Amino acid sequence: MTFRNTAAAVPLAILFMLPVSQLWAQEANYSIQTSKGSTLDVFSQLNPVVINRIHSWELALTGPDESPVTGAEIFVTGGMPDHDHGLPTLPIMTRETSPGRYLLEGVRFHMPGRWQLTVTINSHQGDEIGLLDFEL
Amino acid sequence: MKRFLIPGLLVIGLGAGLGWQLLPAPLPQAWTPQEAALIQSLSLSQLPALSPDPSNAVADNESAAKLGQLLYFDSRMSGNGEVACATCHQPERYFTDGLPLAAGTALGPRHTPSLVGLSHSPWFYWDGRKDSQWAQALAPIEAGHEHNLDRLQVIRLIAKDRDYSERYTALFGELPSLPATPQAASPLGNAEASASWQRLSLAQQSGINRAFANLGKSLAAYQRKLLPGPSRFDEYADQVSSESGISGNGMLSREEIAGLKLFIGDGQCISCHNGPLFTNFEFHNTGVLAVAGQLPPMGRYDGIRLARKDEFNCLSYYSDAQPEECIELRFAKDDNELVGAQKTPSLRNITETAPYMHGGQIADLTAVMQHYNDAPTSMLSHNEAKPLGLRPVQLSQLVAFMQTLTAPLNVDPGWLVAPSQ
Repeated sequence: MTFRNTAAAVPLAILFMLPVSQLWAQEANYSIQTSKGSTLDVFSQLNPVVINRIHSWELALTGPDESPVTGAEIFVTGGMPDHDHGLPTLPIMTRETSPGRYLLEGVRFHMPGRWQLTVTINSHQGDEIGLLDFEL
Repeated sequence: MKRFLIPGLLVIGLGAGLGWQLLPAPLPQAWTPQEAALIQSLSLSQLPALSPDPSNAVADNESAAKLGQLLYFDSRMSGNGEVACATCHQPERYFTDGLPLAAGTALGPRHTPSLVGLSHSPWFYWDGRKDSQWAQALAPIEAGHEHNLDRLQVIRLIAKDRDYSERYTALFGELPSLPATPQAASPLGNAEASASWQRLSLAQQSGINRAFANLGKSLAAYQRKLLPGPSRFDEYADQVSSESGISGNGMLSREEIAGLKLFIGDGQCISCHNGPLFTNFEFHNTGVLAVAGQLPPMGRYDGIRLARKDEFNCLSYYSDAQPEECIELRFAKDDNELVGAQKTPSLRNITETAPYMHGGQIADLTAVMQHYNDAPTSMLSHNEAKPLGLRPVQLSQLVAFMQTLTAPLNVDPGWLVAPSQ
């Protein structure tokens, strides 16, 4: 009986872990260092990132000591420096999905070209900022 | 000899000047890998399947689309009995009307946009004041210059028409019971209709609103059928690669290819007119003059505020979506950058949908290209576009490229005419 229960539980457990493990297995789309030496890895739920589709990012924040930074507030702003305009949406960090991993919802890019985002982080480490520069 | 020198130099100078203005630059042998990728990204074959609309439970229901089609062509849906959706959004004109400003029961303040492919947009109206196609479909019915009817009279029409009421009931259940009086009522109507609306009970108001929303959802189900068909450009784009020659399969002329090169390059058109529908469905201030006699509009700055307080938006009682599904509305921005910004229109079939811009201010495509080449100062806030410095021959090449985007619609012809009940 115990064996049968265990046998049934294993595929179920795999099924529940699948979306999470897939995102963990995904290589970071972008990775930056902040002003305090933390690492911010961006895992886009739309992979690869393409224009004109609203989607979410998971942001993984690791301190200089390589431990996850928990309880942080993260703000993302930015735009296209060559076009003198900002993001088309107002992305918001809505929750911490697991220790040191944060969900950023409402991300969209509406033009091909160079994008520059400023990530402002407020945590027990104090305030820090990071600059994310990429081409779409 | 000396007396020929100055006239000779003048002739040479004049010839060089005219040549610079009018002679095309030679085309390269092949596209670069970056150019080839951009061209492929514009092909209709790259258009993703239409996303579901969680706020509309009947968005992809055939019976709802059929009811929507009947409503779309029915001029009884107007105060004077002469105006239907199809009056301005005419199928034979790619769902536009050929006029600078829409003419319903009266002349309106905006140019009629095409409906083709519009169901891919997250926002509706030039200023994006509606966040779904069904919420959009309701507003013209009650607008004084469009259909000039009101929601109570619309539901009375459905209840009195046996075919309509049977179709409605099969889709949505019983119609609400209607009061004997008043005949007309709406919170958006004139003083009399508005006062009549206030006299109705909350349950009556809610029942009428629910039925009205259901009709909007049916109209949206119909409009989701209106998709563009592949054009000469798509046939060209689908075989483009950096290895193949620039002439490709011969579907485009040298002038049209030169226009395409400018479109994705120095013309910067692709910045906003991108993706398979040649639009990012976003809002931009491009310094278009206000319509004569109108103040410069606030555009999306006002539009997003109207969308947030709309009684039929994605977060409303009449939406079928869960709040977390209303992603566009929840994460929409509303800052000063949106002052004077209007929605980027699709360029599919653009040669057939003149005049252009939100107020039909620009009569033809040559004048449109000249406008972007000049990038004039905006009357309100700032023009995002910068002067391009293109030569007249290059502007003609861009216009030539526009000709390659016209094609018959990818719609079963039965949807393009008034249906027989």
